[in-house]
Amino acid sequence: MQIDFVNRELTIKLVYYGPALSGKTSNLQALHRVADASASGRLMTLETKDDRTLFFDLLPLTFRSQGGLAVRIKVFTVPGQVIHASTRRLVVQGADGVAFIADSRVSETENNAESFMDLKENLKQHGMVLKQMPLVIQFNKRDLPEVRSDQEIAELAGQGREPVYLAVAPRGQGVVECFVGLLHLTWSALDAEHDLNRKFGFDSNAFLAQVAGKLGEKRGLPELLRASVGGALEVLRPEAAPA
Amino acid sequence: MSMPVSSLDELTLGKGARLDELVDREALTELARNFADLHGVGIRVFDVHGRLAAEAGREGPLYDYLRGLRAARHELERATQLIKSLDPDSSGEAEAECATGGRFAVFAVENDGRRVGRVVMGPYFTPELTALPPALHQAEPEIDRAKVAELLGAVKRLDRHDAMRFGRYFVKTLDLILFSGYRALLTSNMHLASVRESYRDLEDKNAKLQIAYDRLKELDRLKSNFLATVSHELRTPLTSIIGYSEMLAEGIAGEMNEEQRDFVQTIREKGEQLLQLIKGLLDLSKLESGTMSMRKQAVQVPPLLEDVIETMTPSAKKKGITLGLEVDHDMCELYGDLERLRQVLLNLVENALKFTPTGGCVSLGGRMTTMESKTGADGGLVLLGARRPAIELTVADSGIGIPPAERERVFDAFYQVDSSSTREQGGTGLGLSIVKRLVDSHDGTVRIEDNQPRGTLFVITLPVKRASIAP
Repeated sequence: MQIDFVNRELTIKLVYYGPALSGKTSNLQALHRVADASASGRLMTLETKDDRTLFFDLLPLTFRSQGGLAVRIKVFTVPGQVIHASTRRLVVQGADGVAFIADSRVSETENNAESFMDLKENLKQHGMVLKQMPLVIQFNKRDLPEVRSDQEIAELAGQGREPVYLAVAPRGQGVVECFVGLLHLTWSALDAEHDLNRKFGFDSNAFLAQVAGKLGEKRGLPELLRASVGGALEVLRPEAAPA
Repeated sequence: MSMPVSSLDELTLGKGARLDELVDREALTELARNFADLHGVGIRVFDVHGRLAAEAGREGPLYDYLRGLRAARHELERATQLIKSLDPDSSGEAEAECATGGRFAVFAVENDGRRVGRVVMGPYFTPELTALPPALHQAEPEIDRAKVAELLGAVKRLDRHDAMRFGRYFVKTLDLILFSGYRALLTSNMHLASVRESYRDLEDKNAKLQIAYDRLKELDRLKSNFLATVSHELRTPLTSIIGYSEMLAEGIAGEMNEEQRDFVQTIREKGEQLLQLIKGLLDLSKLESGTMSMRKQAVQVPPLLEDVIETMTPSAKKKGITLGLEVDHDMCELYGDLERLRQVLLNLVENALKFTPTGGCVSLGGRMTTMESKTGADGGLVLLGARRPAIELTVADSGIGIPPAERERVFDAFYQVDSSSTREQGGTGLGLSIVKRLVDSHDGTVRIEDNQPRGTLFVITLPVKRASIAP
């Protein structure tokens, strides 16, 4: 996160992580499609070759709160291919929140796990701890055959900490929910650390509702936040912490 | 021109990119010139700090004339200051009128949601404008109205609506150029950062490898030391065992019956075997630690080979194997350690006899050949890599042979082709490793080939020192 007190501007970095071809770029494309033109900049894709991300995709989103604070959100993807390890490490540096995009197919289970360990390792290299990183997990490609069952995912998600989303990214299904969930967790964590709401006279719920609105979302915020399977969206909020 | 390189986070999260990082100044000037040529309107591009980045288009004869008049020039300069300070509002545009009635438009230039500069277009004259504003005439009474009317008549007119459209089009074009520039800037920054990161990775790995390598070298040294010490400590009591069993066998401690003599003989033989093994270990560790001393001298090869045959004949006869010698008597002498060379050949012949079945044959050969120097491989090959005269010693057997895949490894210490505990042939696996090291210390090579029709052929090539090359 970067704060510019003079211009009352705050920049948040969100990273979409995951194995190769799990649909990270598709997520950004879907977000870009639904985003209000006033809020979203050009989706930038760095050097694609065979439709694969070489460095990253970057989707800039800008929202202005009622208090006059400009929140710039930069959404990055990482290149999933194993060989781009050093690039992934560079992109994940300074991330405020991570959405892990997993491929739902049973055959990809191993790749998902490997990529997740890779994320953990890369965060560690930057002195960050996965446990303290705002994190949501998306199971993408729900429309394909031979995917891990809803029931299996729900059962495991119920035991885990992270909110889990089911998605079909090219159709935009589950994409906004996942993004809003991630933003919610990330903002809560940043607020807990930097006391942003008080310093900037900021209303995070109103802000989230505004973001959802600009992403063409008709549902209310509570309903959106309930869209996750298992996990705890409140876990990082200071008021939810046990006294 | 060198520019400070911004980091990835600075570019994407922090202050953003500068105009001069995103677009080439010359190209920007060309773009402006094209615009000015096409629409007949001047255009200037300023960076975010108000520094001029590009400009094109002339103000024209009217302005030239007015600037020639002191008060008018003052009025024009005041208007210029005003236009310079004009800041586009949230719509990204602002308009102003100059002292002449000519119009200016200012457009914000943004990249990635941040202001990177301004475009100032003008002055242009709308068709409605027929005379200079009265204020200018008041400020500068010396204006020649007839001349101004003439000059004003010659000025190209532009509808305000059209002018704004042209200006917006210019800014949109510039926006796309800036976006491409931004993308290229990020890409090259990522390339640099990735390479730096990969380099750091490699450095880490290299450092780790170096540590591991140093450790292994130290372990290797300790192992050699250990072998040397143990061999020495074993040899001392063993010498006594052999010595006393010899004395017993000779009857010094009283006559023994047949059976007792047999037992003592076995103790002595096994003791000798053990001693040979320990000597081998000692040799190996000396060779490895580089403390083996060589007594090099001129060696006549044919007598050496004959001596080896003579020594091995009893063992060969015992096993029913024919021992042959094929030697070229014109061979020049070799410069080396006679004892060590004998050891090499004895080792190989002994080995050959061991792996050759009864009725087979083992033959020893010696001839002149040439060999390539190893020193030319890293440069100067044409000078150093010349073929040099050499002596080739061969030991051929008709035994079980060595599979090609094993041929490199048989020279490793303790390596056995058949390492199962039930293997037919005994041995420690030390012999060939000692052979290899002794040949190495003579700057020679040893290799294994197939013997025809069956068996193994060991080929040792030893260089002949220049001083001793035969005429």
